[in-house]
Amino acid sequence: MIDLQNISKVYGSDVHGLRDVNVNIEPGEFVCIVGTSGAGKTTLAKLLIAEERPTRGKIKIGGWDITKIKRRDIPYLRRQIGVVFQDFKLLKKKTVWENVSFALEVSGETNKRIREIVPHVLKVVGLDQKAHRFPYQLSGGEQQRVVIARALVHRPKILLADEPTGNLDTINTADVIEVLKKINNFGSTVILVTHNREVVNSLKGRVITLADGRIISDKKHGKYILQS
Amino acid sequence: MILVTSLGRIISFSWKNIIRNAWIGLATVLVLVLALLSVNVLIGVNALASSAISILEKKIDVSVYFLPETPEAILDQARSYMASLPQTESVIVSTADQALEAFKERHSNDPSILDALNELDENPLGATMIIKASKTTDYPYLMEALNNPQFSFAIESKTYDDHTVAIDQVQQIAATIRYFGLILTVIFTIFSALIVYNAIRVAIYTQREEIGIMRLVGASNAFVRLPLIIDAIFFALLALLISAALIATIISVGEPYLLAFYDGADPGLKTYFTANFVPLVVGEGLVISLVVAMASWAAVGKYLKK
Repeated sequence: MIDLQNISKVYGSDVHGLRDVNVNIEPGEFVCIVGTSGAGKTTLAKLLIAEERPTRGKIKIGGWDITKIKRRDIPYLRRQIGVVFQDFKLLKKKTVWENVSFALEVSGETNKRIREIVPHVLKVVGLDQKAHRFPYQLSGGEQQRVVIARALVHRPKILLADEPTGNLDTINTADVIEVLKKINNFGSTVILVTHNREVVNSLKGRVITLADGRIISDKKHGKYILQS
Repeated sequence: MILVTSLGRIISFSWKNIIRNAWIGLATVLVLVLALLSVNVLIGVNALASSAISILEKKIDVSVYFLPETPEAILDQARSYMASLPQTESVIVSTADQALEAFKERHSNDPSILDALNELDENPLGATMIIKASKTTDYPYLMEALNNPQFSFAIESKTYDDHTVAIDQVQQIAATIRYFGLILTVIFTIFSALIVYNAIRVAIYTQREEIGIMRLVGASNAFVRLPLIIDAIFFALLALLISAALIATIISVGEPYLLAFYDGADPGLKTYFTANFVPLVVGEGLVISLVVAMASWAAVGKYLKK
Protein backbone atom coordinates (compact mmCIF):
# COMPACT_ATOMS: atom_id res chain seq x y z
CA MET A 1 0.00 0.00 0.00
CA ILE A 2 2.65 2.53 1.10
CA ASP A 3 6.27 1.94 0.21
CA LEU A 4 9.03 4.36 1.16
CA GLN A 5 12.42 3.40 -0.19
CA ASN A 6 15.59 5.14 1.07
CA ILE A 7 13.78 8.41 1.63
CA SER A 8 15.86 11.41 2.61
CA LYS A 9 14.72 14.99 2.88
CA VAL A 10 17.22 17.78 3.24
CA TYR A 11 16.18 21.42 3.75
CA GLY A 12 18.68 23.90 2.45
CA SER A 13 22.14 22.40 2.37
CA ASP A 14 22.48 20.71 5.73
CA VAL A 15 19.17 20.47 7.64
CA HIS A 16 18.08 16.85 7.52
CA GLY A 17 14.35 16.22 7.91
CA LEU A 18 14.60 12.52 7.11
CA ARG A 19 17.61 10.25 6.59
CA ASP A 20 17.40 7.08 4.51
CA VAL A 21 13.95 6.01 5.72
CA ASN A 22 12.54 2.65 4.57
CA VAL A 23 8.94 1.81 5.46
CA ASN A 24 6.35 -0.54 4.07
CA ILE A 25 2.75 -0.27 5.26
CA GLU A 26 0.23 -2.93 4.27
CA PRO A 27 -3.46 -2.27 3.48
CA GLY A 28 -5.66 -2.15 6.59
CA GLU A 29 -2.82 -1.50 9.03
CA PHE A 30 -3.07 0.96 11.94
CA VAL A 31 0.40 2.48 12.28
CA CYS A 32 1.58 4.97 14.85
CA ILE A 33 4.52 7.14 13.92
CA VAL A 34 6.08 8.61 17.02
CA GLY A 35 9.00 10.81 17.83
CA THR A 36 9.98 13.96 19.62
CA SER A 37 9.63 17.39 18.02
CA GLY A 38 11.93 17.68 15.02
CA ALA A 39 12.24 13.89 14.66
CA GLY A 40 10.79 14.03 11.11
CA LYS A 41 7.17 12.92 11.74
CA THR A 42 5.53 15.87 10.03
CA THR A 43 8.05 15.79 7.18
CA LEU A 44 7.04 12.19 6.58
CA ALA A 45 3.34 13.16 6.61
CA LYS A 46 3.98 16.01 4.15
CA LEU A 47 5.84 13.69 1.79
CA LEU A 48 2.89 11.28 1.78
CA ILE A 49 0.45 13.96 0.59
CA ALA A 50 3.03 15.45 -1.82
CA GLU A 51 3.15 18.74 0.03
CA GLU A 52 6.90 18.25 -0.14
CA ARG A 53 9.14 16.13 -2.34
CA PRO A 54 11.93 13.86 -1.12
CA THR A 55 15.53 14.84 -1.82
CA ARG A 56 16.37 11.20 -2.43
CA GLY A 57 14.50 7.89 -2.55
CA LYS A 58 11.19 6.68 -3.89
CA ILE A 59 7.61 6.84 -2.55
CA LYS A 60 4.91 4.55 -3.87
CA ILE A 61 1.28 4.66 -2.78
CA GLY A 62 -0.94 1.84 -4.00
CA GLY A 63 1.65 1.15 -6.72
CA TRP A 64 1.65 4.81 -7.83
CA ASP A 65 5.11 6.35 -7.77
CA ILE A 66 4.53 9.83 -6.36
CA THR A 67 8.20 10.73 -5.96
CA LYS A 68 8.08 13.15 -8.86
CA ILE A 69 4.31 13.61 -9.03
CA LYS A 70 3.14 16.37 -11.37
CA ARG A 71 1.39 19.30 -9.76
CA ARG A 72 -1.80 18.65 -11.71
CA ASP A 73 -1.97 15.09 -10.31
CA ILE A 74 -1.70 16.13 -6.64
CA PRO A 75 -5.48 16.72 -6.24
CA TYR A 76 -6.13 13.11 -7.33
CA LEU A 77 -3.61 11.84 -4.76
CA ARG A 78 -5.24 13.92 -2.02
CA ARG A 79 -8.64 12.48 -2.82
CA GLN A 80 -7.15 9.05 -2.08
CA ILE A 81 -5.56 10.05 1.22
CA GLY A 82 -7.76 11.57 3.90
CA VAL A 83 -5.81 14.05 5.98
CA VAL A 84 -6.46 15.21 9.54
CA PHE A 85 -4.34 17.90 11.21
CA GLN A 86 -3.95 19.09 14.77
CA ASP A 87 -5.27 22.58 13.99
CA PHE A 88 -8.61 21.29 12.58
CA LYS A 89 -8.66 23.57 9.50
CA LEU A 90 -12.43 24.04 9.56
CA LEU A 91 -14.21 26.95 7.93
CA LYS A 92 -15.69 28.95 10.79
CA LYS A 93 -18.56 30.42 8.79
CA LYS A 94 -19.77 27.06 7.55
CA THR A 95 -21.83 24.52 9.44
CA VAL A 96 -20.69 20.95 10.09
CA TRP A 97 -22.65 19.80 7.03
CA GLU A 98 -21.21 22.58 4.85
CA ASN A 99 -17.64 21.92 6.00
CA VAL A 100 -17.95 18.25 5.10
CA SER A 101 -19.80 18.82 1.83
CA PHE A 102 -17.23 21.48 0.83
CA ALA A 103 -14.66 18.72 0.14
CA LEU A 104 -17.11 17.10 -2.24
CA GLU A 105 -18.21 20.35 -3.87
CA VAL A 106 -14.69 21.37 -4.82
CA SER A 107 -14.10 17.92 -6.29
CA GLY A 108 -17.08 18.28 -8.62
CA GLU A 109 -19.36 15.74 -6.90
CA THR A 110 -23.04 16.02 -7.79
CA ASN A 111 -25.52 17.44 -5.26
CA LYS A 112 -27.34 14.10 -5.19
CA ARG A 113 -24.16 12.25 -4.21
CA ILE A 114 -23.34 14.93 -1.63
CA ARG A 115 -26.77 14.41 -0.03
CA GLU A 116 -26.03 10.67 0.16
CA ILE A 117 -22.41 10.79 1.36
CA VAL A 118 -22.48 13.57 3.99
CA PRO A 119 -25.08 12.04 6.36
CA HIS A 120 -23.27 8.71 6.08
CA VAL A 121 -19.85 10.04 7.13
CA LEU A 122 -21.38 12.22 9.84
CA LYS A 123 -22.98 9.08 11.26
CA VAL A 124 -19.61 7.27 11.19
CA VAL A 125 -18.05 10.03 13.34
CA GLY A 126 -21.15 10.37 15.50
CA LEU A 127 -22.10 13.89 14.52
CA ASP A 128 -25.27 13.24 12.54
CA GLN A 129 -27.29 15.09 15.19
CA LYS A 130 -25.06 18.18 15.03
CA ALA A 131 -24.94 18.67 11.26
CA HIS A 132 -26.25 22.22 11.38
CA ARG A 133 -24.03 23.52 14.14
CA PHE A 134 -21.12 25.83 13.52
CA PRO A 135 -17.57 24.87 14.61
CA TYR A 136 -17.63 27.32 17.54
CA GLN A 137 -20.67 25.45 18.89
CA LEU A 138 -18.68 22.19 19.11
CA SER A 139 -16.05 20.86 21.52
CA GLY A 140 -12.47 20.33 20.33
CA GLY A 141 -13.05 16.61 19.95
CA GLU A 142 -16.21 17.17 17.95
CA GLN A 143 -14.41 19.64 15.69
CA GLN A 144 -11.70 17.07 15.07
CA ARG A 145 -14.38 14.50 14.25
CA VAL A 146 -15.81 16.92 11.66
CA VAL A 147 -12.34 17.04 10.12
CA ILE A 148 -12.22 13.24 10.09
CA ALA A 149 -15.65 13.15 8.45
CA ARG A 150 -14.43 15.58 5.81
CA ALA A 151 -11.36 13.39 5.23
CA LEU A 152 -13.60 10.37 4.72
CA VAL A 153 -15.92 11.77 2.04
CA HIS A 154 -13.74 10.55 -0.82
CA ARG A 155 -13.68 7.07 0.75
CA PRO A 156 -9.89 7.14 1.00
CA LYS A 157 -7.96 3.90 1.38
CA ILE A 158 -5.54 5.77 3.65
CA LEU A 159 -6.29 8.14 6.52
CA LEU A 160 -3.33 10.22 7.64
CA ALA A 161 -3.78 11.91 11.02
CA ASP A 162 -0.99 14.29 12.03
CA GLU A 163 -1.21 14.98 15.76
CA PRO A 164 -5.05 14.88 15.70
CA THR A 165 -5.25 14.86 19.49
CA GLY A 166 -2.60 17.50 20.10
CA ASN A 167 -5.14 20.12 21.15
CA LEU A 168 -7.57 17.81 22.92
CA ASP A 169 -8.18 16.76 26.52
CA THR A 170 -8.18 13.11 27.57
CA ILE A 171 -11.90 12.49 26.98
CA ASN A 172 -11.94 14.10 23.55
CA THR A 173 -8.70 12.31 22.66
CA ALA A 174 -10.32 8.98 23.49
CA ASP A 175 -13.34 9.90 21.31
CA VAL A 176 -11.16 10.73 18.33
CA ILE A 177 -9.05 7.58 18.70
CA GLU A 178 -12.24 5.50 18.87
CA VAL A 179 -13.38 7.02 15.57
CA LEU A 180 -9.99 6.27 13.98
CA LYS A 181 -10.18 2.64 15.17
CA LYS A 182 -13.69 2.39 13.75
CA ILE A 183 -12.46 3.66 10.38
CA ASN A 184 -9.58 1.17 10.50
CA ASN A 185 -12.06 -1.61 11.22
CA PHE A 186 -13.93 -0.64 8.03
CA GLY A 187 -10.73 -1.53 6.15
CA SER A 188 -8.91 1.79 5.74
CA THR A 189 -5.22 2.08 6.50
CA VAL A 190 -4.71 4.56 9.33
CA ILE A 191 -1.42 6.37 9.91
CA LEU A 192 -1.40 8.21 13.20
CA VAL A 193 1.43 10.66 13.76
CA THR A 194 1.60 11.46 17.46
CA HIS A 195 3.76 11.96 20.51
CA ASN A 196 0.96 10.97 22.91
CA ARG A 197 2.36 8.08 24.96
CA GLU A 198 -1.03 6.93 26.36
CA VAL A 199 -2.64 6.80 22.94
CA VAL A 200 0.23 4.81 21.42
CA ASN A 201 0.38 2.35 24.28
CA SER A 202 -3.40 1.86 24.38
CA LEU A 203 -3.55 0.96 20.71
CA LYS A 204 -1.10 -1.94 21.02
CA GLY A 205 -0.42 -1.79 17.25
CA ARG A 206 2.53 -1.15 14.98
CA VAL A 207 4.75 1.69 16.19
CA ILE A 208 7.45 3.32 14.08
CA THR A 209 9.76 5.51 16.14
CA LEU A 210 11.69 8.31 14.55
CA ALA A 211 14.63 10.21 16.02
CA ASP A 212 16.74 12.79 14.25
CA GLY A 213 15.17 11.85 10.89
CA ARG A 214 15.95 8.15 11.21
CA ILE A 215 13.80 5.13 12.08
CA ILE A 216 15.17 3.82 15.34
CA SER A 217 12.44 1.25 15.96
CA ASP A 218 9.65 -0.41 13.96
CA LYS A 219 7.65 -2.92 16.05
CA LYS A 220 4.48 -4.76 15.01
CA HIS A 221 3.13 -4.53 18.55
CA GLY A 222 5.15 -1.65 19.86
CA LYS A 223 5.09 0.84 22.67
CA TYR A 224 6.11 4.42 23.16
CA ILE A 225 9.79 4.03 23.96
CA LEU A 226 10.96 7.65 24.05
CA GLN A 227 11.69 9.58 27.21
CA SER A 228 9.16 12.32 27.93
CA MET B 1 -23.49 17.13 -15.78
CA ILE B 2 -20.40 17.21 -13.52
CA LEU B 3 -18.99 19.99 -15.69
CA VAL B 4 -22.17 22.03 -15.32
CA THR B 5 -22.20 21.44 -11.55
CA SER B 6 -18.54 22.44 -11.23
CA LEU B 7 -19.06 25.50 -13.41
CA GLY B 8 -22.03 26.55 -11.30
CA ARG B 9 -19.96 26.19 -8.13
CA ILE B 10 -17.00 28.06 -9.62
CA ILE B 11 -19.32 30.96 -10.53
CA SER B 12 -20.91 30.83 -7.08
CA PHE B 13 -17.46 30.92 -5.38
CA SER B 14 -16.44 33.74 -7.70
CA TRP B 15 -19.52 35.78 -6.80
CA LYS B 16 -18.87 35.27 -3.08
CA ASN B 17 -15.29 36.53 -3.58
CA ILE B 18 -16.58 39.66 -5.32
CA ILE B 19 -18.99 40.43 -2.49
CA ARG B 20 -16.35 39.75 0.21
CA ASN B 21 -13.71 41.88 -1.50
CA ALA B 22 -15.99 44.64 -2.78
CA TRP B 23 -13.65 47.52 -1.83
CA ILE B 24 -10.59 45.96 -3.40
CA GLY B 25 -12.73 45.26 -6.45
CA LEU B 26 -13.87 48.86 -6.61
CA ALA B 27 -10.27 50.13 -6.60
CA THR B 28 -9.39 47.64 -9.32
CA VAL B 29 -12.35 48.74 -11.43
CA LEU B 30 -11.33 52.40 -11.02
CA VAL B 31 -7.83 51.77 -12.37
CA LEU B 32 -9.19 49.68 -15.22
CA VAL B 33 -11.62 52.50 -16.10
CA LEU B 34 -8.66 54.93 -16.22
CA ALA B 35 -6.75 52.54 -18.48
CA LEU B 36 -9.74 52.18 -20.82
CA LEU B 37 -10.35 55.93 -20.84
CA SER B 38 -6.75 56.59 -21.85
CA VAL B 39 -7.06 54.09 -24.70
CA ASN B 40 -10.29 55.70 -25.86
CA VAL B 41 -8.87 59.23 -25.63
CA LEU B 42 -6.19 58.00 -28.00
CA ILE B 43 -8.80 56.51 -30.34
CA GLY B 44 -10.87 59.72 -30.14
CA VAL B 45 -7.88 61.91 -30.99
CA ASN B 46 -7.19 59.71 -33.99
CA ALA B 47 -10.80 60.00 -35.10
CA LEU B 48 -10.73 63.81 -34.70
CA ALA B 49 -7.44 64.10 -36.58
CA SER B 50 -8.71 61.87 -39.40
CA SER B 51 -11.87 63.92 -39.59
CA ALA B 52 -9.90 67.21 -39.70
CA ILE B 53 -7.57 65.85 -42.38
CA SER B 54 -10.50 64.56 -44.42
CA ILE B 55 -12.21 67.99 -44.26
CA LEU B 56 -9.00 69.72 -45.34
CA GLU B 57 -8.41 67.19 -48.11
CA LYS B 58 -11.88 67.83 -49.50
CA LYS B 59 -10.96 71.49 -49.84
CA ILE B 60 -7.96 70.78 -52.08
CA ASP B 61 -8.52 70.90 -55.85
CA VAL B 62 -6.98 72.26 -59.04
CA SER B 63 -9.02 74.85 -60.96
CA VAL B 64 -8.11 75.17 -64.62
CA TYR B 65 -9.33 78.28 -66.48
CA PHE B 66 -9.51 77.95 -70.26
CA LEU B 67 -9.29 80.78 -72.76
CA PRO B 68 -12.76 82.15 -73.64
CA GLU B 69 -12.66 80.98 -77.26
CA THR B 70 -11.56 77.40 -76.44
CA PRO B 71 -13.48 74.96 -78.67
CA GLU B 72 -15.76 72.35 -77.10
CA ALA B 73 -13.66 69.53 -78.63
CA ILE B 74 -10.51 70.70 -76.81
CA LEU B 75 -12.44 70.94 -73.57
CA ASP B 76 -13.74 67.38 -74.05
CA GLN B 77 -10.25 66.16 -74.84
CA ALA B 78 -8.86 67.79 -71.68
CA ARG B 79 -11.66 66.39 -69.57
CA SER B 80 -11.33 62.86 -71.00
CA TYR B 81 -7.58 62.83 -70.60
CA MET B 82 -7.57 64.07 -67.02
CA ALA B 83 -10.49 61.75 -66.03
CA SER B 84 -8.65 58.76 -67.50
CA LEU B 85 -5.72 59.18 -65.11
CA PRO B 86 -5.82 56.81 -62.11
CA GLN B 87 -4.66 59.68 -59.87
CA THR B 88 -7.86 61.62 -60.65
CA GLU B 89 -10.89 61.24 -58.43
CA SER B 90 -13.25 63.62 -60.23
CA VAL B 91 -13.30 66.16 -63.02
CA ILE B 92 -16.05 68.78 -63.26
CA VAL B 93 -16.18 71.06 -66.28
CA SER B 94 -18.22 74.25 -66.35
CA THR B 95 -18.79 75.82 -69.77
CA ALA B 96 -18.14 79.52 -70.34
CA ASP B 97 -21.88 80.25 -69.92
CA GLN B 98 -22.05 78.24 -66.69
CA ALA B 99 -18.91 80.01 -65.46
CA LEU B 100 -20.52 83.38 -66.20
CA GLU B 101 -23.73 82.39 -64.40
CA ALA B 102 -21.71 81.24 -61.42
CA PHE B 103 -19.70 84.45 -61.43
CA LYS B 104 -22.89 86.54 -61.52
CA GLU B 105 -24.36 84.45 -58.71
CA ARG B 106 -21.25 84.95 -56.57
CA HIS B 107 -21.33 88.69 -57.09
CA SER B 108 -25.09 89.23 -57.04
CA ASN B 109 -24.66 91.74 -54.19
CA ASP B 110 -22.05 93.76 -56.04
CA PRO B 111 -23.85 96.01 -58.65
CA SER B 112 -20.58 97.57 -59.87
CA ILE B 113 -19.24 94.21 -61.04
CA LEU B 114 -22.59 93.26 -62.58
CA ASP B 115 -22.74 96.63 -64.39
CA ALA B 116 -19.21 96.15 -65.71
CA LEU B 117 -20.20 92.75 -67.03
CA ASN B 118 -23.24 94.21 -68.80
CA GLU B 119 -20.98 96.72 -70.54
CA LEU B 120 -19.16 93.85 -72.27
CA ASP B 121 -20.58 92.42 -75.49
CA GLU B 122 -19.02 89.01 -75.03
CA ASN B 123 -18.59 86.59 -72.19
CA PRO B 124 -15.13 87.40 -70.84
CA LEU B 125 -14.89 84.11 -68.99
CA GLY B 126 -13.73 80.85 -70.37
CA ALA B 127 -14.69 77.33 -69.36
CA THR B 128 -13.43 76.03 -66.01
CA MET B 129 -12.29 72.54 -65.07
CA ILE B 130 -12.06 71.51 -61.41
CA ILE B 131 -9.98 68.41 -60.75
CA LYS B 132 -9.79 66.48 -57.52
CA ALA B 133 -7.04 63.94 -56.95
CA SER B 134 -7.48 60.52 -55.33
CA LYS B 135 -4.69 61.34 -52.85
CA THR B 136 -3.19 64.67 -51.82
CA THR B 137 0.21 63.44 -52.95
CA ASP B 138 -1.15 63.05 -56.50
CA TYR B 139 -1.61 66.81 -57.14
CA PRO B 140 1.95 67.50 -58.39
CA TYR B 141 1.46 64.70 -60.93
CA LEU B 142 -1.87 66.15 -62.09
CA MET B 143 -0.38 69.64 -62.37
CA GLU B 144 2.30 68.12 -64.60
CA ALA B 145 -0.33 66.26 -66.64
CA LEU B 146 -2.05 69.57 -67.45
CA ASN B 147 1.02 70.48 -69.53
CA ASN B 148 -0.18 68.03 -72.18
CA PRO B 149 0.41 69.86 -75.50
CA GLN B 150 -2.95 68.60 -76.84
CA PHE B 151 -4.80 71.15 -74.66
CA SER B 152 -2.25 73.09 -72.60
CA PHE B 153 -2.20 75.90 -75.18
CA ALA B 154 -5.90 76.60 -74.36
CA ILE B 155 -5.29 76.98 -70.62
CA GLU B 156 -5.31 80.54 -69.45
CA SER B 157 -4.43 79.88 -65.83
CA LYS B 158 -4.40 77.22 -63.14
CA THR B 159 -4.88 77.59 -59.40
CA TYR B 160 -3.95 74.98 -56.86
CA ASP B 161 -5.61 75.48 -53.48
CA ASP B 162 -2.80 73.95 -51.45
CA HIS B 163 -3.79 72.89 -47.92
CA THR B 164 -0.91 70.48 -47.56
CA VAL B 165 0.80 72.64 -44.93
CA ALA B 166 -2.33 72.53 -42.77
CA ILE B 167 -2.66 68.79 -43.37
CA ASP B 168 0.97 68.27 -42.37
CA GLN B 169 0.42 70.25 -39.20
CA VAL B 170 -2.70 68.24 -38.27
CA GLN B 171 -0.83 65.02 -39.01
CA GLN B 172 2.10 66.13 -36.87
CA ILE B 173 -0.13 67.10 -33.96
CA ALA B 174 -2.02 63.80 -34.28
CA ALA B 175 1.25 61.83 -34.40
CA THR B 176 2.52 63.58 -31.26
CA ILE B 177 -0.74 62.95 -29.41
CA ARG B 178 -0.71 59.35 -30.64
CA TYR B 179 2.88 58.91 -29.41
CA PHE B 180 2.24 60.28 -25.93
CA GLY B 181 -1.16 58.58 -25.81
CA LEU B 182 0.47 55.28 -26.58
CA ILE B 183 2.99 55.77 -23.77
CA LEU B 184 0.10 56.68 -21.45
CA THR B 185 -1.86 53.61 -22.56
CA VAL B 186 1.11 51.28 -21.99
CA ILE B 187 1.69 52.80 -18.53
CA PHE B 188 -1.98 52.42 -17.59
CA THR B 189 -2.07 48.87 -18.94
CA ILE B 190 0.98 47.90 -16.85
CA PHE B 191 -0.54 49.63 -13.80
CA SER B 192 -3.82 47.80 -14.38
CA ALA B 193 -2.09 44.43 -14.63
CA LEU B 194 -0.09 45.12 -11.46
CA ILE B 195 -3.12 46.35 -9.54
CA VAL B 196 -5.21 43.36 -10.60
CA TYR B 197 -2.29 41.13 -9.63
CA ASN B 198 -2.16 42.70 -6.17
CA ALA B 199 -5.94 42.76 -5.79
CA ILE B 200 -6.04 39.02 -6.44
CA ARG B 201 -3.14 38.49 -4.01
CA VAL B 202 -5.13 40.35 -1.34
CA ALA B 203 -8.22 38.33 -2.25
CA ILE B 204 -6.18 35.16 -1.85
CA TYR B 205 -4.89 36.39 1.50
CA THR B 206 -8.43 36.97 2.77
CA GLN B 207 -9.40 33.49 1.58
CA ARG B 208 -6.14 31.70 2.37
CA GLU B 209 -7.88 29.41 4.85
CA GLU B 210 -10.53 28.34 2.37
CA ILE B 211 -8.02 27.92 -0.47
CA GLY B 212 -5.72 25.91 1.81
CA ILE B 213 -8.58 23.57 2.67
CA MET B 214 -9.61 23.34 -0.98
CA ARG B 215 -6.11 22.17 -1.86
CA LEU B 216 -5.99 19.83 1.12
CA VAL B 217 -9.22 18.05 0.23
CA GLY B 218 -8.27 17.58 -3.41
CA ALA B 219 -9.67 20.53 -5.33
CA SER B 220 -7.99 20.78 -8.70
CA ASN B 221 -5.79 23.79 -9.35
CA ALA B 222 -8.31 24.91 -11.98
CA PHE B 223 -11.07 24.90 -9.37
CA VAL B 224 -8.97 27.11 -7.08
CA ARG B 225 -7.85 29.34 -9.94
CA LEU B 226 -10.99 29.85 -12.00
CA PRO B 227 -13.15 31.75 -9.46
CA LEU B 228 -10.35 34.31 -9.02
CA ILE B 229 -9.84 34.64 -12.79
CA ILE B 230 -13.61 35.05 -13.26
CA ASP B 231 -13.53 37.81 -10.58
CA ALA B 232 -10.82 39.65 -12.53
CA ILE B 233 -12.74 39.33 -15.81
CA PHE B 234 -15.90 40.54 -14.08
CA PHE B 235 -14.02 43.64 -12.85
CA ALA B 236 -12.67 44.20 -16.37
CA LEU B 237 -16.13 43.97 -17.95
CA LEU B 238 -17.61 46.25 -15.28
CA ALA B 239 -14.85 48.76 -16.01
CA LEU B 240 -15.63 48.45 -19.74
CA LEU B 241 -19.29 49.21 -19.09
CA ILE B 242 -18.49 52.23 -16.89
CA SER B 243 -15.92 53.61 -19.33
CA ALA B 244 -18.37 53.17 -22.25
CA ALA B 245 -21.00 55.15 -20.33
CA LEU B 246 -18.44 57.84 -19.45
CA ILE B 247 -17.20 58.12 -23.03
CA ALA B 248 -20.77 58.38 -24.39
CA THR B 249 -21.50 61.18 -21.88
CA ILE B 250 -18.24 63.02 -22.63
CA ILE B 251 -18.89 62.88 -26.39
CA SER B 252 -22.51 64.04 -26.09
CA VAL B 253 -21.53 66.97 -23.89
CA GLY B 254 -18.20 67.83 -25.49
CA GLU B 255 -18.70 67.40 -29.23
CA PRO B 256 -20.83 70.56 -29.75
CA TYR B 257 -17.88 72.59 -28.41
CA LEU B 258 -15.65 71.14 -31.13
CA LEU B 259 -17.90 72.42 -33.94
CA ALA B 260 -16.21 75.84 -33.83
CA PHE B 261 -12.81 74.24 -34.54
CA TYR B 262 -14.25 72.34 -37.50
CA ASP B 263 -15.78 75.34 -39.21
CA GLY B 264 -19.27 74.02 -38.47
CA ALA B 265 -18.54 70.60 -40.01
CA ASP B 266 -19.10 67.35 -38.10
CA PRO B 267 -15.98 66.63 -35.97
CA GLY B 268 -16.85 62.96 -36.47
CA LEU B 269 -16.30 61.81 -32.89
CA LYS B 270 -19.82 60.54 -32.23
CA THR B 271 -20.06 59.17 -35.76
CA TYR B 272 -16.79 57.27 -35.34
CA PHE B 273 -17.64 55.77 -31.95
CA THR B 274 -21.18 54.87 -33.06
CA ALA B 275 -20.01 53.22 -36.29
CA ASN B 276 -17.24 51.29 -34.50
CA PHE B 277 -19.09 50.56 -31.27
CA VAL B 278 -19.13 46.75 -31.62
CA PRO B 279 -15.50 46.25 -32.74
CA LEU B 280 -14.30 48.72 -30.09
CA VAL B 281 -16.25 47.12 -27.24
CA VAL B 282 -15.33 43.58 -28.33
CA GLY B 283 -11.67 44.47 -28.97
CA GLU B 284 -11.16 46.42 -25.76
CA GLY B 285 -13.16 43.84 -23.80
CA LEU B 286 -10.99 41.00 -25.10
CA VAL B 287 -7.68 42.81 -24.51
CA ILE B 288 -8.51 44.03 -20.99
CA SER B 289 -9.98 40.62 -20.06
CA LEU B 290 -6.84 38.92 -21.33
CA VAL B 291 -4.58 41.29 -19.39
CA VAL B 292 -6.46 40.86 -16.11
CA ALA B 293 -6.90 37.10 -16.60
CA MET B 294 -3.14 36.73 -17.11
CA ALA B 295 -2.41 38.91 -14.07
CA SER B 296 -4.85 36.86 -12.01
CA TRP B 297 -3.44 33.57 -13.36
CA ALA B 298 0.05 34.65 -12.32
CA ALA B 299 -1.11 35.82 -8.87
CA VAL B 300 -2.89 32.51 -8.11
CA GLY B 301 -0.13 30.46 -9.71
CA LYS B 302 2.44 31.91 -7.36
CA TYR B 303 0.23 30.86 -4.45
CA LEU B 304 -0.44 27.37 -5.81
CA LYS B 305 3.28 26.66 -6.06
CA LYS B 306 3.69 27.13 -2.32
